Amino acid sequence: MVMTSASAAGRGERVTGEPLLRVVDDEFYPDWEAVYRDNVGRVYRLMFAKVGNRADAEDLTAEVFMAALRPLRVSASAAEVRSYLFATARTVLAGHWRKTLGIEITRLNADELWEQASNNPSAQDAGTPAASRDAAAILAGLPENYRRILQLRFLESCSIREAAAAMGVSVTYAKVLQHRALRRAARVMEVGT
Amino acid sequence: MSARGTRRFISDLLKGRRPRSFRAEEADAAPLRAAITLRGAAPEGAAPREEFVTGLRQRLAAEMAGEPASEPNESRPVRAVGSTRRRFVQASTIAAAAAAAGAVVDHVVVGGAPEGPRDPQTLTPATGQWRTVSASADLAEGGVRGFDLGSVVGFVARNAGELKAVSGVCTHLGCRLTLDAPARRLDCPCHRTSFGLNGELLNHQLPVAPPALPHLQVREQGGVVQIYAPPGPV
Repeated sequence: MVMTSASAAGRGERVTGEPLLRVVDDEFYPDWEAVYRDNVGRVYRLMFAKVGNRADAEDLTAEVFMAALRPLRVSASAAEVRSYLFATARTVLAGHWRKTLGIEITRLNADELWEQASNNPSAQDAGTPAASRDAAAILAGLPENYRRILQLRFLESCSIREAAAAMGVSVTYAKVLQHRALRRAARVMEVGT
Repeated sequence: MSARGTRRFISDLLKGRRPRSFRAEEADAAPLRAAITLRGAAPEGAAPREEFVTGLRQRLAAEMAGEPASEPNESRPVRAVGSTRRRFVQASTIAAAAAAAGAVVDHVVVGGAPEGPRDPQTLTPATGQWRTVSASADLAEGGVRGFDLGSVVGFVARNAGELKAVSGVCTHLGCRLTLDAPARRLDCPCHRTSFGLNGELLNHQLPVAPPALPHLQVREQGGVVQIYAPPGPV
């Protein structure tokens, strides 16, 4: 009965002043597990790019799904579900900074959300494209030895000892270098935005 | 600037540990942001761990089935709403906050009214009629009466001269609420959730707080109390 009147009315047309009946014919998720499977990687990558460590990224990812899944209606389209997950992720991230540091260090903005939504979730080579691009942009704005120390320490996860050896400097100097490089990187970012 | 906190935060990040909280100042934000942005491109960020994905799926399955996530029912504390800082409870208000922030969220996506800043919903049936649930004389000041209209069950209370009616079905998984008249409280027999006579959530032991009870439209006319509800078997 409902199906007949809905399909007779076609998509996007109104049925005699009644609220529009939703025709579920384009992409949508069959159940919450499908929502989860399709989006868990995406939400995790977004969070990792914004907190920089796995423990927090995992907790925040869990928080997003715990908060978002139950109120979701099965009739929502896949695109609507993703928008809702991203809105929840933004709120969760803001809450995280409020609770841990008291100031908002990073935030999710709409551009990244779109890029993320169209991102192939099976990409294994690096973090999000936006994250790699942001990091590359910072490094590109630094003098060679600053760029090198940050590359070794942050992206290649070298210890300070390993980084010092790779650069042929003392451990003490590597620490100083890292400290200065990070301050410079912060300025590069501020100018960039 | 909190140099020590920032230094420790960055050192934790580089060791792959969860950074410790500290009271950051505005001047700390730029170096922290730079460190996170650089670290955000690290390989661990490419994909979540398999164990994490599986574990969270199990937690969610328990949550969606309405089962408490881990411990047996009896040992779980009943949470008084608004008096706990537990993370799960905070999580429950996030959906509401996201909905209130609302750029991309509308009520097509989010069903029900999560507890929090939003007002509880009032049932307005597409096709309804005023149906009598009690004689006025049987609902004295301070009184509460349950009713079953076939299509809708609920409770109506008179408090400070005002009538209020709420749904009598738990917003968690649909069990019928029972009235604890002395406590002026509606209890769910299934998971120890309870609501006030205005529909507000009083306490629960669920991983995510259920929404408040929907309100029903109520009026008093000609010596009877009536509810606006769909027609249905009596």
